[in-house]
Amino acid sequence: MSEARTFKVKSSLSKQLFEPGGRLVRDAERLAGEALDTHREEAMAMIAATIDELDAVCAAQPAEAGLQVYALGQKVIDLGAFFDTGPLHEAAWSLCDIADRMIGNGVWRWPSIQVHAQAMRLILGNDCRTGRTSATLLDGLRQVAQRP
Amino acid sequence: MARRPDVNERVNLARSSVLLVDHNEKSLAMLSSIFQGFGVKEQIKRSTTEDAIRVVDERDLDLILIDCSMPDMDGYDFIRWLRRDTPPPVRYTPVIMLTGHAAQSKVHKSRDCGASFVVTKPLTPNVLLQRILWLGADERQFVEADTYVGPDRRVRNFGPPLGMAGRRSGDLSEHVGAASEANMDQSAIDMMMKPMKVQL
Repeated sequence: MSEARTFKVKSSLSKQLFEPGGRLVRDAERLAGEALDTHREEAMAMIAATIDELDAVCAAQPAEAGLQVYALGQKVIDLGAFFDTGPLHEAAWSLCDIADRMIGNGVWRWPSIQVHAQAMRLILGNDCRTGRTSATLLDGLRQVAQRP
Repeated sequence: MARRPDVNERVNLARSSVLLVDHNEKSLAMLSSIFQGFGVKEQIKRSTTEDAIRVVDERDLDLILIDCSMPDMDGYDFIRWLRRDTPPPVRYTPVIMLTGHAAQSKVHKSRDCGASFVVTKPLTPNVLLQRILWLGADERQFVEADTYVGPDRRVRNFGPPLGMAGRRSGDLSEHVGAASEANMDQSAIDMMMKPMKVQL
């Protein structure tokens, strides 16, 4: 096995970033936030459609649906990634976690998936607000996730 | 010297070319809006790693952002290809990997792929800009070994780059800085180096 070689690299990005000109960090963040906000409504509608899709998969219960369910959970995480979706993100994360674990264990339980779909729909319907309802829902999902 | 990412500082991406790669068209559009806000000169958007590879082969890039869960060739394999199968200086291009949920089977791939930073969703424009500024002030060595090619992962004792928020008092730095005292004269250095007889 050959030895590891270490050396310094100065990237073109390093040279450009601190050159005179550009924008104030404050302005760059504000402009980025404003541009992002124009996507919020559509992103939330797409999350709702993804949860519909998850419901449909739960109803059909096809064989070998693990990766499909995992991908739908990932899609909710991706679409809500740049917004403050707090409890919705946690619920989607929990869905991915249990789907990943069940795929690994080779044991699949649809009720665990269904309860996640229902919780995500309720949280989304409540504008992803953090409160007593979301806390209760997430607590329920944690209990589902802890089942062996 | 590296600069602190204060809100009143300036960041200049007006000459930078950034490649954004995400299989989800909506996520790609949102990422693009963020970079538009940052004032990036040129954004190249691709929704497959195959197309992204073509861009890397044909264009000079200053930064790459890629989602980890790309279909077919995933983000980890793309970075691994970039770090191992492209010529310098292309292989040194800074890469930020965006991850959602990390499946157990992908944890090692994530650690070993050679990304400059792995950023977990959810994230805000503020976090993304901070990571870009960290890349600009990156002091890490680049490592080329049989088992790993990429920025040095042993960053625990170095913390964020010098001058950046989040550094702890004990964090090390490779940055020496300007001399704060006069140089020692040679005789003083010799005195420190030479063995001396000691009267007991």
